[in-house]
Amino acid sequence: MAQVVMKDLNKKYDEVHAVKDVNLHVRDKEFIVLVGPSGCGKSTTLRMVAGLEEITAGEIAIGDRVVNDLPPKDRDIAMVFQNYALYPHMTVYDNMAFGLKMRKFPKAEILKRVQDAAEILGIQELLKRKPRQLSGGQRQRVAVGRAIVRHPQVFLFDEPLSNLDAKLRVQMRVELKRLHDRLETTAIYVTHDQVEAMTLGDRVVVMKDGWVQQVGEPLELYGRPSNRFVAGFIGSPAMNFVDVGISEANGAVWIETQGLRLKAAADRTDRLRPYKGQKVTLGIRPEDIRLASGSDTPDRTFESVVEVVEPLGSEILLDMKIASAQMVARVEPTVRVKVHEPIKMAINTDRLHFFDLKSEAAI
Amino acid sequence: MAQGTLMALIAAYSLFPIYFITVQSLKTPQEDVFGSPLWVTDPSFENYTELFEGAKARPRGFVILPRVPFLDWLANSALVLAGSLAVTLAAAVLAAYALGRLQPPGWRWWRRALFATYVVPHTILFVPLYQVIIRLGLDDSHGALVLIYSTMALPFCVWILSAYYQHLPREIEEAALIEGASPATAFVRIVLPMSRNVLIAAALFTVGTVGNDFMLASIFLLDPTKQTVAAGLGVMDVSLEELVTVAGVNLAAIPVAAACAVFARGYVRGLTAAMVEGA
Amino acid sequence: MAPALVLVLGVLAYPVGWEVWVSLTDFSTRLDGPPSFVGLANYLALGREPEFWHALTVTVAYFVLTTGLKLAIGTAMAVALAGPFRGRALVFLAVFLPWAYPGSVTVIAWFWMLNPPLLTSYAVAMGGVKHAFDGLFGTGAWAFLSVALFNVWRGASFTAVFLLAGLNALPTELFDYARLETRNAWQRFLAVTLPLLRPYLALAVFLSFTTAFADLANVWMLTGGRIVFPVLGTQAYWLGIRNGQFAEAAARSLSLVPLLVLALVVLFRWFDPPRERAA
Ligand SMILES: Nc1ncnc2c1ncn2[C@@H]1O[C@H](COP(=O)(O)OP(=O)(O)O)[C@@H](O)[C@H]1O
Ligand SMILES: [Mg+2]
Repeated sequence: MAQVVMKDLNKKYDEVHAVKDVNLHVRDKEFIVLVGPSGCGKSTTLRMVAGLEEITAGEIAIGDRVVNDLPPKDRDIAMVFQNYALYPHMTVYDNMAFGLKMRKFPKAEILKRVQDAAEILGIQELLKRKPRQLSGGQRQRVAVGRAIVRHPQVFLFDEPLSNLDAKLRVQMRVELKRLHDRLETTAIYVTHDQVEAMTLGDRVVVMKDGWVQQVGEPLELYGRPSNRFVAGFIGSPAMNFVDVGISEANGAVWIETQGLRLKAAADRTDRLRPYKGQKVTLGIRPEDIRLASGSDTPDRTFESVVEVVEPLGSEILLDMKIASAQMVARVEPTVRVKVHEPIKMAINTDRLHFFDLKSEAAI
Repeated sequence: MAQGTLMALIAAYSLFPIYFITVQSLKTPQEDVFGSPLWVTDPSFENYTELFEGAKARPRGFVILPRVPFLDWLANSALVLAGSLAVTLAAAVLAAYALGRLQPPGWRWWRRALFATYVVPHTILFVPLYQVIIRLGLDDSHGALVLIYSTMALPFCVWILSAYYQHLPREIEEAALIEGASPATAFVRIVLPMSRNVLIAAALFTVGTVGNDFMLASIFLLDPTKQTVAAGLGVMDVSLEELVTVAGVNLAAIPVAAACAVFARGYVRGLTAAMVEGA
Repeated sequence: MAPALVLVLGVLAYPVGWEVWVSLTDFSTRLDGPPSFVGLANYLALGREPEFWHALTVTVAYFVLTTGLKLAIGTAMAVALAGPFRGRALVFLAVFLPWAYPGSVTVIAWFWMLNPPLLTSYAVAMGGVKHAFDGLFGTGAWAFLSVALFNVWRGASFTAVFLLAGLNALPTELFDYARLETRNAWQRFLAVTLPLLRPYLALAVFLSFTTAFADLANVWMLTGGRIVFPVLGTQAYWLGIRNGQFAEAAARSLSLVPLLVLALVVLFRWFDPPRERAA
């Protein structure tokens, strides 16, 4: 049980500056998820915590110890890799027991711990098999089992579910969450999948190009993204963006572009006013666009043509355009619309997001 | 059916010379001269038992036959083979790991340089080679052969092992490091056992290299008691007419061929493992 | 890496360097006093010598012929062995044996088959064939053929097993897909199998080079020089070891270097192409 603190962490390879000034305080027993597009430096950060990559600058502490110069084996951590990294020449039992043997645990204790872990993960029947005789999901369980037998201070996961098929991924996701609740061990989890990040993380760290973009609880990231990148990355389907002009008339702030004229909600007017006469990026979540009804006033509606209908069962996605920007609306499954026909949509103007055109920071 | 015939042909083509020589070695002198070359009517192990009679010359018929210290030769051959295997494998594993895994700058060129030595015919180099051997104080010693055989087998062994290490997922060793192993332990307990088949392939290749040589052995080993089976044959100009010597090499070949047969599957698996990319 | 490099380069670099240096001097045991530097004189002298050009032609022909045959037969056997059939393991072993069986035995086998030393009816028959052959292609042609056949027999065995491993390493989906795209097995072989095997074929060529040299020397030594046809290696040996004309011998050996370098460049292109960097 330990906290992990990263201070001004940097990693430079010859040409690439992979991790830039990362500051992060992972609390004891917390499940924290690093998420971001491929190549943003998540794995590098995690591997520096593990001791598999040299730290270029900065400091990492696990518990109360600064571990910069400790080899991986002395950091009291366990790691699960995307490709499982099981030892192919050893049985499942030996795979799980390896770390304990290295630490000279007595035989009986090893046996007990491996069996306990196997029971938790439901792999008791597989202990005598070799990794190549296992399915992907089973291998994943063994890799997790290998991590938990040692009762380490911190779990590190690097995209552990990415090699599984979609259904198994969802199932293992739930199991990992349950396991974490049960073991109460600090965990740092890396993924490129924002759904995984949102469902697993107590807090989520969004990264891009080596920078941390935002740290927060899942709903905080979703509801109040601090910049355009986070807004677009979190949520599926992604937030819609369109550049709009800001103007003031009749004591209200107006948001305008070709075919669209919305009245800003009262609580946004103060923040938008400085942008009068300029352009900003408007962000609309798909669920904040719906079919217009008779009671919707023109200052919150627009007209468009449905280009594609994606009926997902629990919801329907409609693809259309505002100005020249592509928009997706998420509507009730009962809605019936025809492709290529004109349609009138309404927007939840009190849930709009605005971003500075240059800095892309939230307004 | 056609396939069966084809396979039978392939097998016959491959085995015929071995069959042929074995047939000859089982012949008595009379049958050797008057019998058919293709089969033996009255097989006798005379030629084989003769080998173990000791090293003194004795008359047989009208000629004096030189006898050979065959047991010494066998022991020497085994020694040279074991030495070459040990040196080749140890050097190859270390070099291959360094090249394929640690990948120092220009490692591809180092590997190519090693491989390029294959087009340098060792056979035209024996004068300077001999100087090297003498300078190292290895003349007329098994060490000379071990050294030379190792240089002949190494480039290939380094290539297959480094190709294997190059594509071996790093994470497996990293997992071991995290689990509490030191880099050396991880190498010995994880990397080496994993490369078992590739090591078998490298070892068999070395055996083949050593087994094939004849010339170097006879050049570098002159003292009869120190010679290997192959070298012993080389100095006996009469050997070609002598059924005894044929029996001798054939006998020495049996354990080698048997070992190759046992490990043949591992050999192919090892080569395959080295060739699979990104596995 | 260090130990292997020291071993290979140390043991080989010095002899190669020595050869180069000596080839630029007039070093010979027939001359008194220290050797003096003569520049390229030895090479120029070679160019004027018809025997040299003959030997060069024979050497190149020997390589091209044996290597080509080894690759062709080896590939054919590998492809034949690739599919599943009954008795595959046995045929595989048979194919594996020519290479695994120590060369000192099989070389005698080939020698006896083609040049029977004893006077038997078989020997007389083979003698007739030999004379006819030599009459047709010139003296030494039969000897050339004997060595080439032996070398091809062993080399094709190695190549077959090596390429079989290569075939195993290729993803099966590729062949499944090729079935959809091509009309017949031959086309599939040309369009898919062959290009995919190319790096391994290139590697096999490397090994073919060494064994071609080595077998030549082996046969030559073993038969006490009885199987002889002029190639650069034997000419060099004759001059160097027997006559002590080391300088001429060295120049002769090294005259192959430009061709070998050319071969190297092509082969490296094939078997170790500049690969994209892993992400
Ligand atoms: N060993 C390395 N050498 C050079 N560059 C590397 C190395 N490992 C990673 N990188 C680079 O660092 C950046 C971050 O990589 P990584 O942390 O693996 O990203 P991800 O977020 O996908 O896990 C990438 O641009 C990658 O190309
Ligand atoms: Mg990654």
